[in-house]
Amino acid sequence: MSSIALLGIILLFLMLLVGGRQGFNSFISLILNFGFLFLAIVLISFHLSPLLVTLVVGTILLSLTIFLSGVNDETGKLAFYSSLFVLIILVVLIIPIEYWSQVQGFGLEDSDDLEGMSLMIGISFVKISIATAILSTLGAIAESTMAIASGLGEITEQHPDISSKRLLFDGFFIGKQIIGTTLNTLFFGLFGGMLALFIWFFGLNYSFGNILNDKVFNAEFIIILFSLIGVILSIPITSAVIAHNWKRKHN
Amino acid sequence: MKKIINKIPLKLILMFIIMGIGLITFVKNDAFLYRQPIFRIDKAEFLHKNQTTDTFQNEDVEYTQRLLGTILNGKYKDKKVVINNTYSNSQAMDKKYIKGQQAFVIIHKNPSLNVTIKDYKRDVPIVFVLFLAISLMVIFLKMSGVTALGSIFVNSLLFILALLINNHANGAGVVIIFSVLAVIFSFVTLLMVLGFTRQMWITLGSTLTCTFMSVLIGLIVFTITHERGIFYESMQYVTQSPRPLFLAGTLIGSLGAVMDESTDIISSLFTLKHEHPQISKKQIFKSGQNIGKSIMGPLINVLFFIFMGETLPMAILFLKNGNSWGYSFSMNMSLGMVQSLISAIGIVLAVPVSSFLTSIFIKEGGNK
Repeated sequence: MSSIALLGIILLFLMLLVGGRQGFNSFISLILNFGFLFLAIVLISFHLSPLLVTLVVGTILLSLTIFLSGVNDETGKLAFYSSLFVLIILVVLIIPIEYWSQVQGFGLEDSDDLEGMSLMIGISFVKISIATAILSTLGAIAESTMAIASGLGEITEQHPDISSKRLLFDGFFIGKQIIGTTLNTLFFGLFGGMLALFIWFFGLNYSFGNILNDKVFNAEFIIILFSLIGVILSIPITSAVIAHNWKRKHN
Repeated sequence: MKKIINKIPLKLILMFIIMGIGLITFVKNDAFLYRQPIFRIDKAEFLHKNQTTDTFQNEDVEYTQRLLGTILNGKYKDKKVVINNTYSNSQAMDKKYIKGQQAFVIIHKNPSLNVTIKDYKRDVPIVFVLFLAISLMVIFLKMSGVTALGSIFVNSLLFILALLINNHANGAGVVIIFSVLAVIFSFVTLLMVLGFTRQMWITLGSTLTCTFMSVLIGLIVFTITHERGIFYESMQYVTQSPRPLFLAGTLIGSLGAVMDESTDIISSLFTLKHEHPQISKKQIFKSGQNIGKSIMGPLINVLFFIFMGETLPMAILFLKNGNSWGYSFSMNMSLGMVQSLISAIGIVLAVPVSSFLTSIFIKEGGNK
């Protein structure tokens, strides 16, 4: 048996043990997410527009992550709308910045891995970098919109006559609580995912200026920053969507 | 409506815009800070193009352009030079330059003065995005944003320190160095958020137990399966033994998410105990399970997308170079997958472990 299969089985077992049916759904969501991510890669390699593929697959991935996580329908729906809003704003931000920063494709550090490969594949790597950035931020967007939506959902359940203005305020309060730990998830993810590259930088005595302009590092660094911006934006957006919905329902 | 408008911190936003403009203007003109020669393109002329087809029938176009510009710093400051640059439609490792852009160049003196382009100067956009993220954080979240940024700043310094020690040890003991770092990371981060409280110690205990347990489970799985399907040779940027490096990266990568999950569960349980002091240990454990199981799925996906997303360009390149789906997956995505699965196991373990630790160690009344 391969290591990936055994790790997967252990994960499934633990998720069933801890979360029961909900744990099983989360596991299915993870498998489907992988399937759609791989599908996106294959479709882009078939010369379909990377942006179009990403937007369609991205919307599917957001809905899978949110609706299979076990939140109730109302909360899930509002979280999904909010996450779409955040996604649209991020896409508008990501496209010009990827063109501006030119972190597409591969850097000098990749030379060894590229030996014998043809780079002239006729697909724009800038567009691929846009697709990569958008897909990488989806998890963070889904997580933060859901955390705020379910927090506010609980508040409306306990205080059915709360005002929508108060709800907006509470959304920011929840956001302030989650931002610190979410930031850690993102940055430790960056540190851990790129540990080999950081060691490379130190081993080869890169200067601060070298790192600040390095293509490979920045490709990953701005993705973490985009995810962070997505998390921050989801605080006012999710709070506003839920407060608006609350107001409409009560009038 | 007026009340909401009054609440928008206009002064703060204005301050950030002015600071931002100042910062970007400075970075745009920071060539004097660099030792490498920097070249500004004053004019770009299209020379010719060339249709190409590679051995895998991928069609592309190669363009050649002539760049006229000025060296901005160093010995050859203000010297006008002409550089020929080639780029393709794919732009995987090359790029099209346009007027006004800056690039690092290499100046050869033998046999005659000759300049070639090395890489694009991309500090301006990077600083812009970084500044944007920081501004949004402070504008929307005020003090909480500043605290969170402070904690990341301290952790980055600790990370750099660990890299220096690792470099000094020539890669020996990388797992030990980053295990110690993981302990310090969690201690410092939780201390900044929670202070010296009982809640902090419980969260620290849960975070470290689950992170190390997940890596241990990973190691046991590697032994049982003889690491089948794990291709360390596909690991990128490796300058030292890849296996321990991979383990150290996985450890640090999952730490943040496990801490995230533990913090959320334990702080909810402390609030619960505070509001209902008569609640039993068993009920605390059960509530912890309920809170945890709904947040574990999304959290696992956060790391999954980060670890797997970065493999996209190389996977596409592999597919376009005539490799099968299976081979492209193994060579590019298998390590990210293993990393995602091990962190996922840590995140799931955090649900019962943090609930259990809280139910045992929480004080009557739920005081922190």
